[in-house]
Parts: sequence; C-alpha cells; structure tokens
Amino acid sequence: MMRLIQLFSIAVVFIVSGSAFSETITLGASLQLTGPLANTGRYYRDGYEFAIAKINEKGGIKVGNVRYKLALKLLDNQSDISLSVRQYVQLLTEDKVNFLLGPYASNFALATSSVSEKYQVPMVQGGGASDQIFSRGYKYIFGTLPVASEYFSSTIAATEKFNPKPEKVALLFADDAFDVSVADGTRDILSKAGYKLVLDKRYAANTSDFNSLLSLIKESQADAILVAGHETEVLNFIRQAKSLNVSPKFYSFTVGVPTEDFRKALGKDADYAFGMTSWLPTAALKDSYFVNGEAFAKEYAARFGYDPDYHAASAVADVEAFAKAIEAAGTLDPSKVRDAIAHISFDSLYGHVQFSTAGQISLPQIMIQIQNGKLVPIYGQNGFINSPIYPMPSWDRR
Amino acid sequence: MNPSLRWFALFGTLAILVAVPWIAPATWVQFGISTLMLATLAQSWSIIGGYTGYASFGGSVFYGLGSYGTAIAMIEYHLPFGVGLILGALVAVTFAVLIGLPVLRLRGHYFAIATLALAQVVPAIVSNLDIAGRNIGLILPLLRNDALFYESALGLLVITTLSIWYISRSRFGFGLMAIRENEDAAAAMGVNTTLYKTLAFAIAALFSALSGGIHAYWITYIDPGGEFDITLNVKMIIMAVFGGPGSVLGPIAGAFLLSGVSEILSFKISSVASLFFGLVIVIAVVLMPRGLADLWHRYKKLGLHYFSENIRENRV
Amino acid sequence: MVLLWQVLANGILLGGLYALMALGLALVWGVLNIVNLAHGAFIMLGAYVCYYLFTVFHVDPFAALPAAMVVLFVVGYSLQRNVLNLIIRAPMFNTLLLTFGFEVVLTNLAQMIFSADYRTINPSYAGANFNLFGATIPLARILAFTTGLLLTSCLWFFLLKARLGRAIRATAQNLIAARLYGVETRKIYAITFGLGAALAGAAGDLYGLVSQINPYIGGSLTAKSFAICIIGGLQNPLGVVVGGIFLGVVESLTALYLGPTYTDVASFGILVLVLVLRPTGLLGRTA
Repeated sequence: MMRLIQLFSIAVVFIVSGSAFSETITLGASLQLTGPLANTGRYYRDGYEFAIAKINEKGGIKVGNVRYKLALKLLDNQSDISLSVRQYVQLLTEDKVNFLLGPYASNFALATSSVSEKYQVPMVQGGGASDQIFSRGYKYIFGTLPVASEYFSSTIAATEKFNPKPEKVALLFADDAFDVSVADGTRDILSKAGYKLVLDKRYAANTSDFNSLLSLIKESQADAILVAGHETEVLNFIRQAKSLNVSPKFYSFTVGVPTEDFRKALGKDADYAFGMTSWLPTAALKDSYFVNGEAFAKEYAARFGYDPDYHAASAVADVEAFAKAIEAAGTLDPSKVRDAIAHISFDSLYGHVQFSTAGQISLPQIMIQIQNGKLVPIYGQNGFINSPIYPMPSWDRR
Repeated sequence: MNPSLRWFALFGTLAILVAVPWIAPATWVQFGISTLMLATLAQSWSIIGGYTGYASFGGSVFYGLGSYGTAIAMIEYHLPFGVGLILGALVAVTFAVLIGLPVLRLRGHYFAIATLALAQVVPAIVSNLDIAGRNIGLILPLLRNDALFYESALGLLVITTLSIWYISRSRFGFGLMAIRENEDAAAAMGVNTTLYKTLAFAIAALFSALSGGIHAYWITYIDPGGEFDITLNVKMIIMAVFGGPGSVLGPIAGAFLLSGVSEILSFKISSVASLFFGLVIVIAVVLMPRGLADLWHRYKKLGLHYFSENIRENRV
Repeated sequence: MVLLWQVLANGILLGGLYALMALGLALVWGVLNIVNLAHGAFIMLGAYVCYYLFTVFHVDPFAALPAAMVVLFVVGYSLQRNVLNLIIRAPMFNTLLLTFGFEVVLTNLAQMIFSADYRTINPSYAGANFNLFGATIPLARILAFTTGLLLTSCLWFFLLKARLGRAIRATAQNLIAARLYGVETRKIYAITFGLGAALAGAAGDLYGLVSQINPYIGGSLTAKSFAICIIGGLQNPLGVVVGGIFLGVVESLTALYLGPTYTDVASFGILVLVLVLRPTGLLGRTA
C-alpha cells in the first residue's frame, strides 16, 4: 500500500512538473552544415542552440498563462540554395515548426525568404545583409545584420582623422549581392568624403588568384585598399599581397578580421589589417538571458571550443527577437507575431534590436584592427576608442 | 505484362500524379515539382545522349537560358508567364542550333568536353550581363500557387515523354539510333546526319529550357550559379543512364528513384546524404551500367547473376 | 610596361602550377582513355597531406612532396584496381559517371574528416619575393613552377625510356597486342592511374603553398585541368606545359584588360574555340 502511494505521488510530481513545460514552440532553420559554406554555417547552428538552451534555462517563454519552452529543428542544406528552399517548406508543412530562423548568406536569405512570404510565417535571419532582401516589399522577413551599403562608413570616417590622410583609394568587391551592395554604398561615402577612387574593380566570387588585381593596385599607388569579399578571398588577397610586396598605408576588409580562425590561418601576416564588426563582446551590452556580451562570449567559448563572432551573436539576437515578440504578442499566431517583431525594441548582447519598416536592423559598424595578433576596437559611434597603427609597416620591414 | 494492364497502370499512375497537389502533403508537392523537372531534364538528355549517342554535358546551359529568358521577359518586359516560357525556349533553341552546328561535328570525348566547356562559358557570360542582374541574379514576382507549378512540370514531362515515344517510332528516331550505332554508315545510307543531330540537340534544348522557365518562376530568385549549375548535367545523365538510356520511361524511373533516395537522405540523415549519394552512383555504375530498364528485363532470367555478368562484360 | 611584364610573369608562374595539375589528368586520359572527374579531389587530398605533415610534423612542403605522391599513388592504384577496372570496357560515359561518384565521395569524406574549415600552409618563406626586371616574383611560385617543370620532364623520360613507361604506352596503343607480349594489363592500368593520382598529389602539395585549401577546391581545379589538356593537346607532356602556361597567361591578361569577372569567359571560351577549330590542341597533330 505504501509502495503504491509512493509510486502514485512520484507519478503526480512527474506529471505536474512536466506540465510546467507542457508546451513547445519550435523554431526551424535550414543551415549550411556541410558544403563550402559550412565553415560559417556552424556559427549559426551553435548560436541558435545556445540561445534556445539559455532561454529555456531561464524559464522559457510566457504566452498568456502558459509557459512554453523553445525547441530547434535544424536541417542541413549542404550549401545548396534549392535544397534550402525545399527544406524550409518541409519545416513549415511537415515538421510544423512555428517560426523560422534564417540561413547564412544573402543569396540564401533572398531565396528562402520567399517561402516565409508565401506561407506568411515570419523569418528572422542574421546571415544576409544585402539590400535586395529588404527591397521587395516582403512583410515576413527580418534581418539582424546591418545595412550592407553602410559597412565602410565608420572606417572612412576614421580615416579622415588619420595623419597623413590617405588620398588614393582602391575598391575591390566580389560579384555577389552583399558585396555589390557594400561597394555601391561605399562609392557614395567616398565621394562625399572627397576621396579619389583610383581603382574600382569587381571580381568573380571564389577567385583564388589576385595577382593581376594586386599588380594593378601597385601600379595605381593607392594609399588605401578597401575589399568587400568572402573570407577565403581576403585570406588569399593578404597572402598574395605579401608575396607581391604590395604595401598600402592601410587596408580594410568587410569579413575575416573579427573571426578567430582567420587570424590563426594568417598568423603574423594578419597584423595591421583593419576590418569591422557590428558586435564586440563587451560588458556594456546587457542581455535579459546572458547577462552581457562579455559573459556570453566566455560561456560560448567554453561550450563550443572557439570564440564567437558577430555571426553567432546575430544568431542569438534572432532567437531573442522571437522570444520577446511572442511574449509581446501574447499569441502564437504568425501574423500577430510578425507585427510584434516589426515593433519590437530591446537591448541584447548583440546590441539594440529594432527593425526598420523594411525589416532590417540598424547597427553601426565598429572599426577594428589586428595588433600583435589581438583584435583591438579602433573607432566607434563616439569616436576613437584606441589608437590605430597607421600607416601599416611595409612587408619587407616586418 | 499484358498490354491493357500496362496501359491501365500507366494511366492510373498519371491520374495519381495529377491529383498530388490535392491529396498529398505540401512537401510532396515540392518534391514532386523538383523531381518532375529533373525527370524532364533526364528525358531531354536521353534524346541527344541516349538515342543519338552524343553524351552532352550542356543540358544546364539550355535550362539556364530558359530560366533567364523567362525571368527577363517577366521582369524587364512585364510579359505573362506563358509568353516568358516561350521566349526562354526560343533563346535556348536558337542557341542550340547556332552552337550545335560547330560542336556536333566533334565525336565522343571531345563533344562531351565541348559541352562541358559551354556549361562554364555561358554562365560566366551571363554573370557579366546587366540585364541578367550580373552575378547577383534576378528577383521574380511571388506567386502563391504551387499547384500551378506542379501541374505545369507534370504537363511538360508528359509532353516530353510523348515526344520521345513518338520519336522512337519514327523515321527520325531510327535515323538517330543509326547515328548512335555507326555514324559513318548512317551517312553512307543517306541519313542527313547534320540535320538529324542538330534537330535532336534542339529538341533536347527545348524541353530543358521550358523546365528552366518553370523553375525560375517557382523559386522566385535566380542567379547564374543556381540556374547554370554544372552538377545538374551529371544528375541528368545519371538519372537517364540509371533508368535506361534509349528507353521511353527509363529516365523517368531513374529520376524518381534517385531523387527519392537523395531527398530522403537529405531529410533524415542530412550530414551524410551527399556521401551516400556518391556511393549510390558508384555502385549503380558498376553493377547496373545499362540502367533499370535493362535490369527489369534481364533480372528475371539471370537473377543475381545479372550483376556479376555486367562486371564480367565490362572489366579489363 | 612594367605592369604588363608583372602580369605576364604572374601568368606564366600560375600557368606552370596549372600545368602540373593537369599532367596527371592528361596521362590517364591520353593513355587509358579515362576522363577522371575526380582529378581535382586528388589534388585536394595532396594539399591536405602537405598540410598535416607541415602543421603536425613541421615538414617543409617541398620535402613533403614525395609523401603526398606516395599517398595519392596508393589511393589511385586501389581505386583503379578495385573499382575502375570493373567498368573499363563499358561505354565511355560510365567512367565519367563513376569518377564523378568518386569525386562526391572523396569530397564528402574529406569534409567529414578535415572539416570545412579552410587551411593555410605557411612556411617561413611563403611571402618571400625578389625583383626581376621590375616585376616582383614570389619565391614560392617560382619554386613551384620549377618543380612542375622537373616533374613533367621526369614523366616524359619515364614514358619514353623506362621499361614500365613503355609498357604503359604499349597498353595504351594496343591492348590485345600488349597482352600477347605478356604485359599484365590490369596492373598497368592501375599503375598508370596511380601515377596520375600521384602527380595530382604533387600539384596539390604545391597548390597549398599559394592558396588556402578546403575540401571543395576539387571541382574548379578539375575543370581547369580539362581545359589545359584540350588546349595543349594530349600527345605528350610538353603539350600540357604549353596549355597550362597559355591558360595562366590568358587568365592574367584577361583580368587586367577586360576585368576580373571575365577570366572564366576567356579560359572556357578559348577551350570551346580550340575544340571546334583544332580538337587535337595547340601542339597536337591535326587528325
């Protein structure tokens, strides 16, 4: 008899505690976990997983009087856009996820956001920044990467205060949605700041040989080189610049510099390179779930074995945006949650999350430089943070 | 199989396929659209590769041209979808005739390499054209009607298959097969080989282009990398060869089977899906180089010996 | 003028490396009539061998070259002996499909084992350079170029003079006659394919010096190697060298004069032209 009562009470406790989390909200995503883009895809996988685990730890999401926990349904799109599109349809129709998290890269976001628009379920993505994503009048796509055309604005603002101020600028950009957007915006910024653009070259994505371009740059005697491209291209560019002895006064890249394995791959050759990031792991960025940016970075590194960068932070912001929006909407209805996301405004470890009417976040880029293997923030919204090493010592004097 | 039973099976399957958007879950419709398009591509390859014996690696070129033609017609000139499809097909067929004349003079490996080279050149050119959106691509208007895309793809496959059925029984088809078996003999017998080859190439281009056009509108965002995807060529060939080149229904079976395997793998064990697909290809080519059609006919007689026979015939 | 010379120099050095890459493909294609779509994957594997030897054991890439060649020889030999030999006499595109299958399998295995992270091989002299008539010549590239030429000459001598080399050529020319003379064809085929893979491995080893590597570099390298084989012609190794340098120079000049987004248009456009106008290649005898 006693035994029976014990068993019964255990069962009751079990059921009651189970019902504390009886409901689940599932977020679905198709990510590049294998294939050429897997290298960056994993930041999103880890960011999404970590954010969801943390939110659940802190009690999940409250909708009305019910506590929900978050779940993640991930599919590997093998870096194939067509497969990614089909997987998002599957996530919605077969796996019946509630909301969508985005893939990495602008072209993926461009294609897959048509699915969220067709099915009218909001997608928050942190992997695509190109203008086209947000200029189609779509209502169900939101992005936590800042506007592509503004990427170089803080860098160019900083250079105006450099001494001696650079005069001739070379602009190189890859042939894809994001980098072309960056270049278009950068041209405007440069002309407004009065710089002379001596070289303006578009190159094919995945180019591995930059010798011709570097020879052109050397001949043009540009003081400053701005490159908008992908990590592997920037890597090849820097190595080949060294072997061809191309030493401008400074060069800045849209990607690579903030990322740990990029700096590791280049070793000492990475020094003096400038870059930008919309996120730095500082304690000033307070967060409802992770305490702050610095604490998040430490926990992330401990959990996954590598330092997070803005990709991972952006992914976390995506999940948090859903959490906040669902709570604000008080319902799981997709169109109401969509409206809630459109009006959301909160601080997170990634920065202030708020979306424009087109659906894109607005965050300033912080200019950074690699000094002695360390990432040093140089110039932000409020001016200089640290001193830059400028001009860059030429290759033969390092 | 007795003939009336065969017809019944065929029409039954067709009826089920037509009904899919209304009776099956949405993911099946998606899978259906993409597989029907691949089946059409496999069939169109079969015309030039299977019947004529010219292994073309250029199917992706016509698919992409059809895709871009349709997209540009709809975006730049605001033409309706149907007109866009026709324009895309026109561009592809014209290109097929113009480039076919010099390229079809090559034989064997050289022809294959030439088409492979075209498969690289054409997207490289398109990615430099402003009207095609350069490498960034084009955005088409959004249409919420997957049933339309599905039925169009199915309709296209039916038309393509009927054409192949008709060709295989026509003088034109016999001419093509003669070219495949011994081109010089065929020419000596009075077959106008240049005309026949170019016609086959153009027909293959036509169906590939229409397939591409449907794909463009369905996926709403196209770029050179996606529409001129080189692996499409290999997929087309594998599906046709797997199913049985030179047969009417073989490539369709090949397409459905391989797509099915690939899709299931992608969704269930996504991390090793691609690896398994590669292994499937290797095993299929070694054990059944003449495809499913041949397997179907000869397995009954030979059983498992079918596989070892194939190996014995083909190995060094 | 200096710019033109610099760009030409870039092109020639690049071309030398390209030629080495294409050499293995040309050997297997010209001799065995096998068009190996997995060729780029072999190059990729050679690069990874070099990477691991350099990063873990601090072996210099040039010293690691023989190791890369041996490893790839084993891989190539086994694939030919156990799998490819099974379909040699089947229609031509079966080998195309089979080797494509290899490519998919090898690339995915590489990704699973090495991860998709890109790697760099950074010996101390990686960025060293010297001045030659006003052009900056990277040391690593000219070393790779010289090694490539050396390997090509070795191959030529081997095929011409060595007993095994002549057996290979005999098998290529007349399978039945070779058999009658006691040449063990299965082994010869396997050895030839292994050699082709070994040469790819050598190219990969050197490629890692000048560019970052990841499991997916195979595809485009196979395409380039094809172009070189056709342009140069399959008659002898010199054709590959000519084809490689021609391609390298064309790419560099196109990037300079037309723009960097036109390099593929130029290289493959020329390939189409060569095929249509002179299929045996620049150096081949007209059919």
